[in-house]
Amino acid sequence: MENGHEDHEEIQIEEIPDEFQCCVCLELLYKPVVLGCGHIACFWCIYKAMNTWRESNCPICRHPYHHFPSLCRLMHSLLLKLYPLASARRVKQVAEEEKEVGSCSPEFDDDFSESRCKTDLVPDTASPHSVSSQKCGSAGEGDHSSIDADVPATSSSEINKDTISKNLNFADEHTSASEKQVLMTDLLCGICELLLCKPVVLNCSHVYCENCVINPSNKLCRCPVCQLEHPNGYPNICLILEHYLEEQFPELYAERKRASMERSDCQIPSKRNRHEAAGCKSVPGFDLSAWLTSGGPQVHSEAGCDYCGMCPIVGERYKCKDCTEKIGFDLCEGCYKSSSKLPGRFNQQHTPEHQFELIQALQVRNVVLRLQPERLEGDDSDFQLEYGEPRSLEPRPLEEDSSETNSPRDDLRDGQVGNISSSSTGDDDGGRESADRD
Amino acid sequence: MVDLARVQKELHECNRDVQVSGINVTLKGDSLTHLIGTIPGPVGTPYEGGTFKIDITLTDGYPFEPPKMKFATKVWHPNISSQSGAICLDILKDQWSPALTLKTALLSIQALLSAPEPDDPQDAVVAQQYLRDHQTFVGTARYWTETFAKTSTLAADEKIQKLVEMGFPEAQVRSTLEANGWDENMALEKLLSS
Repeated sequence: MENGHEDHEEIQIEEIPDEFQCCVCLELLYKPVVLGCGHIACFWCIYKAMNTWRESNCPICRHPYHHFPSLCRLMHSLLLKLYPLASARRVKQVAEEEKEVGSCSPEFDDDFSESRCKTDLVPDTASPHSVSSQKCGSAGEGDHSSIDADVPATSSSEINKDTISKNLNFADEHTSASEKQVLMTDLLCGICELLLCKPVVLNCSHVYCENCVINPSNKLCRCPVCQLEHPNGYPNICLILEHYLEEQFPELYAERKRASMERSDCQIPSKRNRHEAAGCKSVPGFDLSAWLTSGGPQVHSEAGCDYCGMCPIVGERYKCKDCTEKIGFDLCEGCYKSSSKLPGRFNQQHTPEHQFELIQALQVRNVVLRLQPERLEGDDSDFQLEYGEPRSLEPRPLEEDSSETNSPRDDLRDGQVGNISSSSTGDDDGGRESADRD
Repeated sequence: MVDLARVQKELHECNRDVQVSGINVTLKGDSLTHLIGTIPGPVGTPYEGGTFKIDITLTDGYPFEPPKMKFATKVWHPNISSQSGAICLDILKDQWSPALTLKTALLSIQALLSAPEPDDPQDAVVAQQYLRDHQTFVGTARYWTETFAKTSTLAADEKIQKLVEMGFPEAQVRSTLEANGWDENMALEKLLSS
C-alpha cells in the first residue's frame, strides 16, 4: 500500500519550471526566502550557504547581504497552490532532514491562517462553487501538512494522499479562470491592495509594489506592517514573481505597469540612481577588519539575530539563557533594545519572560585573519607585532578544504583567472537570468 | 554530507544535453562522490580535437563547498599543472557558489583552456614558455593534445597493442591506460605492480 502510494506519487508529480526550482538544491522551492537582490532559494539552502564569518553573497549574483531574510509566505503559499504534489513531497523530504539535523524551519502562526481563510473565501463568489470549494479544500490540506511539519509520518502521508486524489479528481474541470481568481487574491500589495506591480520582497518577507514601498526621498525602506527596516539599500524587484504575474494576468499586469510608470514619472525623478543604489550599496555597519585591528564592533561568528536575521551578529550579542533548542536564540543589540516580538527563526519556544545574557565574541581574531588574508593585507604585520601570536597555533580554519589538493594558497588570491571564470559563469548565470525573464 | 539527490539531478541534467554541450559526467565507481567529467578541447585552440578527462571528487560540504577537480588527461596549459593536473581557477576555490554545478564548473574549465592566464600560473614552466616563446608553447600544447587527449586515434591503439604484446590482458591494459592519462610508461609500471 505504502509502496504503491509512493510510485503513484512519483508518476503524478508536476513538472517544475526552472524558475521555481531552487538554484541550490535544484528541487521545487520550499519555504522560499527572497534576498535583497530579488533572487529566491529555499530557507535551508540559504541558511547553509551563508557565510558565518562575514557577509554572505547571493548564490546567483553574488550580491552581498548580511541579513538572513524571513520566509516569504506569499511565495510559499503560491507554490503550494501551484504544485501541491511536488510540495507535499518536499514537505516530507524536509521534515526528514530537519529531524536528522534537529532544527526546525519556521512554521506559520495564526495571522497566516487567518489570511488564508480570507483568501479561500473570496473565490466562492466569483467562480463555480463546486470547483472552488474543491480547490480550496485541496490547497488547504496541502498547506496543513506543510505547516505542521512535525506531524507523524503516517498522518502526513495520508494527508498527501488525500491531496493527490482530490487534485486528480478536479484536475479536469479545473479551469484557468478559477485558478486566476484564487491566486489573484493572494498576490495583492499590502499597501495599495491592488495586484502587485514590480514586486519587491523586504527582509521581513512582506511583499509590496516597488513604487508603493520605496520612497525616493528616504534612503531607508521600512515595512509598514512590521515596522522593520529593510537592510542593505533598496530591494530589487523579484523577477520570478513579476514574470509569474505577467504570465498569469497579462492584461491586468500590463495596465498596472502602465499606471505605475506614469506615477513614477512624476514621483520618482532619478529612477536609475535608485537602482544603482540598490545594486551597489555594500552592507552598512559591517567591517570585520575594523574589529580585528582597531577595536571596532565585535563580530560573533556563527551567531545570527533571530529578529532581524543579521548573521553574523556585529556589535553586542544577547543570548537567551532559557531557550533549550540546540540552535539557541540570539539577538543583536538593536533588536534586543527594540520591543519587537517576532517568533524565532527556527521555531524556538522563546517567550518574553526569558532572560538574556551578554556574550563576548570568541577570541578568534587570528583565525579570522587567516581566513580573510586579502581583506587585511595592510594590517597583517601590525597585527602580529601587537598580539605576538604565532599563526601556527591556530585551530584548523573552517574553510581550508578547497586549497589542499590543488595549488599553493597564494594562487587563490589576486587571481587573474577571475576574468575567465567570471565571464564563463556569468554567461551561465545570464542564461538563468534570462530564463527567469522569458 | 554530500547532497546526493542534487548530484543525481545534476548528472541527469548534464547528460540530457551532452550532444549540444559536449560535456559529459559519469560515475567513476559505485559512489556518487567520485566522478569523471569530459570536455572537448575548444575549437581554434591547440586543444582542439582532444577530449579531456577531469577527475571530480565531491567533499562532504558539496554543494556548499566546491568540488575538487583536476585533469586526469595530461595537458600543457599555464593554469594547469603539467605534472599533477591541478587546476588554478577561482570558482573552484574561494569564488565557488552553490548555484554553480558540475556542468558549469566544467564549462568554466573549458573556457580556461581557450583563455589562459599566464600572469597567475599554476605551472610556472608552461607560463614562462607561453609568455616568451608562444610558438613553442602552441606546438607543445598541440603535441600533448595529440598524444594524450586523442584516445580514439591510432596512437591509442598502438599503445594498447604494445602492452598486450607484453602479455597483459587487453581490458586491463585499456583501463590502466585510461586511468593514467594514456601515459604508456606509467601504465606499464601500474600493470607490473598490480
